[in-house]
Amino acid sequence: MIADTWHLFNKYMRITIRMPLWSLFTLIQPLIWLLIFAQLFKNFVQLPGNDSDNYMDFMIPGILIMTVLFGSSWSGVSLLREITSGTVDKMLVAPVSRVAIVLSRVLHSAVQVIAQAIIILVVAWIFGATITINPAYLFLGILIIFLLGVAFASISNGFAITLQREEPLVMIGNLMTLPLMFLSSAFVPKSFMPGWIQSIAIINPISYAVDAIRTVLIDVPDATVFIKGLVILLIFSGAALTWAVTAFNSLRD
Amino acid sequence: MDNHAILIKNLTKIYPPNRKALDDLDLSVNNSEVMALLGPNGAGKTTTIRVLSTLSGFDSGQVIVAGMDVDIAPDKVRQTIGVVAQQTGIDYFLTGRENMRLQGHLYHMKNNDIDDRIKELAEYFELSDQLDNVVSTYSGGIRRKLDIATALIHRPKILFLDEPTLGLDIRSRKTLWNHIEELNTNFGLTILLTTHYLEEADSLSHRVAIINTGKIQIIGTPDELKNSIKGDSVVISFEKIAESEQSFAYLAKQQDYIEETVWEGNNLHLYVANGAECVPKLMVLASQNNVVVKSLALSRPSLDDVFLKYTGASIQGPQEESTDEWWKQWAGKGGGKWQGKWVDNDNQDGNGETTSEESSQDKQWPSGTGQWNENDQSSTGSWQDEQQTGSWPDKDKWGDKS
Repeated sequence: MIADTWHLFNKYMRITIRMPLWSLFTLIQPLIWLLIFAQLFKNFVQLPGNDSDNYMDFMIPGILIMTVLFGSSWSGVSLLREITSGTVDKMLVAPVSRVAIVLSRVLHSAVQVIAQAIIILVVAWIFGATITINPAYLFLGILIIFLLGVAFASISNGFAITLQREEPLVMIGNLMTLPLMFLSSAFVPKSFMPGWIQSIAIINPISYAVDAIRTVLIDVPDATVFIKGLVILLIFSGAALTWAVTAFNSLRD
Repeated sequence: MDNHAILIKNLTKIYPPNRKALDDLDLSVNNSEVMALLGPNGAGKTTTIRVLSTLSGFDSGQVIVAGMDVDIAPDKVRQTIGVVAQQTGIDYFLTGRENMRLQGHLYHMKNNDIDDRIKELAEYFELSDQLDNVVSTYSGGIRRKLDIATALIHRPKILFLDEPTLGLDIRSRKTLWNHIEELNTNFGLTILLTTHYLEEADSLSHRVAIINTGKIQIIGTPDELKNSIKGDSVVISFEKIAESEQSFAYLAKQQDYIEETVWEGNNLHLYVANGAECVPKLMVLASQNNVVVKSLALSRPSLDDVFLKYTGASIQGPQEESTDEWWKQWAGKGGGKWQGKWVDNDNQDGNGETTSEESSQDKQWPSGTGQWNENDQSSTGSWQDEQQTGSWPDKDKWGDKS
């Protein structure tokens, strides 16, 4: 299974590297948010309870998560493309591990999303954001991004398999992304939100991802916040991956 | 183990809610045999291949491939078969070599073994100089060849080809036929192919199984099948199908010198013991009933006649080929459960078309109206007209309907 996953992962990476522009396209929207939205609200919002008084700093974790959501929600679309073109059937007639087919896609998407997140970080740094440049903390931040990428790529693949059509899949991807962002602590601190949004933000895994990234990359690192986020994301991505694999396995008609 | 490469017993597969794609199907393919599954769209050809290649499950019956039950040991079956599906399963963004190497890895082959095999297959299929180009630059014929080469990378004993030459030009088709034939004669590969090209089944296969509505209608060598239709075949073409033509067909069927009659569009196929003798009788019968015969052709039965007899539909219709492609493109789907979903509608048309009587009338009227003008100008069309109308109503005539 590990070898199968590796070979398939290799294939997807090869295709991605061959078409770098495509990966850059999904960066456009997060970049717009980063550069325009952050500038727009720079002087407007005086955020209480925030160590940094730079709104861009506050927003960066949210933008990173947004990049993850936009990037990984394409994974299901490309699965549908592969199903249509018959490449999935070609894998299925081989004695290849069924888990490997889903796993390789999800891992590929997560790695792709990490690369995109790093680009965002670099751009933000160039535009004057204060990011903790400590390899260990960067690694922890990337770990969170990876887990979130696995989770949302799994969800996207799972929906692709259950819906079997591209249109509703893209729609769900878009529908999910923005509300999840706004119903989390990505753009405003929890204390800033109306009560009902606060209670949604508490059950929204995105909040914990944002908090975990914020604590290692922007704020003074706080181990409890990070570990809480890590555990919740491990459970979340594990559950999402299991769902995607079960959906794929039950596909035999 | 006996000498069956493939053994199917009482195979039934039902697509929900209750459409029988395969209905108690029995089929056996000997080792090193080339067997063609011939049938109209929706007959169950692709479903059969999908069940055999472990892609689809089934509701009842037993399926043994290379001595192994596909339900009990699917992974062992997969190791011994190569599958070339209708949609090319090769990745367009990879090079030919990368495609083949990936496939080798998926069959858990060793690296140097894969390289040797790629070299061997590339030479065999004359792909060597294209191997390092990205597949999206390949032509259709070369893509197909690569597809087959990829399916052979792990040295399977049995090869499934689902419509291998669909959409290829004549030259690529002929080259591919040669390759397929050589694979069988030189390497003893058992090949099960589906097709709706009669000449493909005729020239490539040792035996042909005609499949319709999920059942094998008849099986035998191409010659046996042709001989199963006694005597000659007479094809009468009409300008239009009205009541008089219908009653003429009915009367003809009552004649003791006529074995069987089958409608195909505006053409009435009659199977007779002695064609030369019965043509004058038929002409007399026609004039007695005030039926205008547009043309009449007398021939030895072909595989087309066999096909017509067992499926009630001719295989040459131009729309047969195009529908198979357009719904896929239009729906953007295919393969797996997904394909099942989209095939469904298509199949139901196919099934209805092939058997019921009223649907053969459906086919007739559009061409009847389409030829109205021609009919006005002269009572007996010229020879060229006759030749045109002698075949399946073409697209223009269908177009008149709307």
